[in-house]
Amino acid sequence: MITLGIDIGSTTSKCVLMSGGEQIIASSLRIGGLGTEGPAEALSDLWDRADIAPSDVSRTIVTGYGRNKYEGADGEVSELTCHALGGRFIFPDLRTLIDIGGQDAKIISLSEAGRMSNFVMNDKCAAGTGRFLDVMAGILRMDIDELDECAAQSVSPASISSTCTVFAESEVISQLANGVSRPDLVAGICESVASRVSALARRAGVVPRVCMSGGVAKNGAVRKALSESLGVDIDFDPMAQYFGAIGAALYAHRQLQKLSDNK
Amino acid sequence: MVQDLMKKFHEAAVSPRAQMDKYMAEGKKIVLTAPVYTPEELIHSMGFVPMGAWGADMELNRSKEYFPAFLCSIVQSILELGIKGAYKGASAIVIPSLCDTLKTLGENWKYAVDDIKFIPMTYPQNRKPDYGIAFTKAGYERVIRDLEALGGKYDPAALAESIRVYNKHNAVMRRVDEVLAVHPEITAAERSDIFKSAYFMTKEEHTALVEEFLAELGEAGEEKIGIVVSGILTDAPQLNQIFDEFGMHIVADDVAAQSRQYRTDSPEMDDPLEALAVKFANMDNCSVLYNVKKPRVQWIVDTAKARGAKGVVVVMTKFCDPEEFDYVMIKKACEKADLPLALVEVDRQMVHFEQVRTNLETFRDMLTM
Repeated sequence: MITLGIDIGSTTSKCVLMSGGEQIIASSLRIGGLGTEGPAEALSDLWDRADIAPSDVSRTIVTGYGRNKYEGADGEVSELTCHALGGRFIFPDLRTLIDIGGQDAKIISLSEAGRMSNFVMNDKCAAGTGRFLDVMAGILRMDIDELDECAAQSVSPASISSTCTVFAESEVISQLANGVSRPDLVAGICESVASRVSALARRAGVVPRVCMSGGVAKNGAVRKALSESLGVDIDFDPMAQYFGAIGAALYAHRQLQKLSDNK
Repeated sequence: MVQDLMKKFHEAAVSPRAQMDKYMAEGKKIVLTAPVYTPEELIHSMGFVPMGAWGADMELNRSKEYFPAFLCSIVQSILELGIKGAYKGASAIVIPSLCDTLKTLGENWKYAVDDIKFIPMTYPQNRKPDYGIAFTKAGYERVIRDLEALGGKYDPAALAESIRVYNKHNAVMRRVDEVLAVHPEITAAERSDIFKSAYFMTKEEHTALVEEFLAELGEAGEEKIGIVVSGILTDAPQLNQIFDEFGMHIVADDVAAQSRQYRTDSPEMDDPLEALAVKFANMDNCSVLYNVKKPRVQWIVDTAKARGAKGVVVVMTKFCDPEEFDYVMIKKACEKADLPLALVEVDRQMVHFEQVRTNLETFRDMLTM
């Protein structure tokens, strides 16, 4: 049975095709989430990569911020549920998942058996999210993917507010005016995100094994700062941005199994 | 028939102004009652119609002339409505001193809304000892003086009768809460209408309507996911729609605007004003009623267990300090009792409930997967 998971986030769209709920056949990611061509482009890209036709898909589940507006799926599921499933698929002993997406951050606790036992979400605030990094990269006229490498050259990370993106923006401009080096500023920005998210993570409780998902997971400086702040190793998988879509494809497979069991 | 009654509850719940106009057309005077607890029995006994003033879901503009942005939106919306004339025609508003924000509401009201008299009701922090009861009684005496200035007349016999009316209403509301715990087919939105309409009808009318509803209620519907809801206010239509959409059945509430109002009756005493003060002393299990032992926390856990709830949803009104202080203890107690808990934040200015939807959808998955 082939299942398709679609994760329409605030800034990117991801698709994953799975076979038998065990094997990832193909995946695609496009910039542009809810309200853009991103989902259509990601799907089109997926079919180009996969050796199967859309009609071969038995069930499609959509997740993410844009899930309610997408009409081409058989069902929709919350992104937290999907990230938990996807994270556990990649790391079978996963207990804590830290998902930092384009506009929010979520912490998901899993029981030993893999059941979601707790979760915490931030609320309507860009601080501690990918948006914060986006804004800061914009001020520094850098590409967001360059932040990681730049932070690695830092000698003394600058102190940047983790309370508010708008305040932090003014702080970064002031520090630039005071001659603080770009690597120190970028490292401070990454630590600011980590500080905000680690506070959220402590509210949910942090039990190893811990991993990150979402676009910000790719940023090694944020992962390092989070790891230091929480005092635990934080694992990373190159598929981290796809956890939601993987979870959606797994959820679709579970539903098919349930339907088959009920027959 | 149940649907006809639900329509009546809904109409009253969504049309407070129409209710107010109806009573004023009958020659009755309206006294607004701000959150969280006001001596409604006293207002009723002096010939006024008490009407709840818990604000409304709206954009706040004028209230910001008096309040900082980071402040309870329920209180801000009460002032906003007052300034914009939504309560026009009311004789007075009784504002209790049960949280810091309410204290500032009273002071701001005096300057911002000059055509509706502000009547303060100052409660003691220590309400249970004799001196606390005496303090509460003195506060009620102040309310009596202010209502007399508006043409009301205090009569102990009338107060004793009003207490009977209110105790009867309390009993019927406790009964409806129990009955709805085993009627999942009554939606969260309908449950909210039953409780909310009580603020905009006389208690005599509301008691009769709820009694009729209880008599008409048929067979229980299909089982859903039982939850206990806790918070100050949970009347946002979008919130209740989400509860219903995800198959959540409110089997009990710890909501200030709902069941917390009806848990305690006034005792029978020779002096009805003393009885009203003793009622306040006996009230408990509420974030704004000081109790160092915080029995509310265990009350939530015990009630959830007793009603077979699968989880607890705390609906936190943004910037509500008393509720935020209690939340930590509630969370720990639920964890200890192995009772899943979700926290959602709401405020009167909320238009988009996407974050709440994701939160409750995930909570539903957590309870069912």
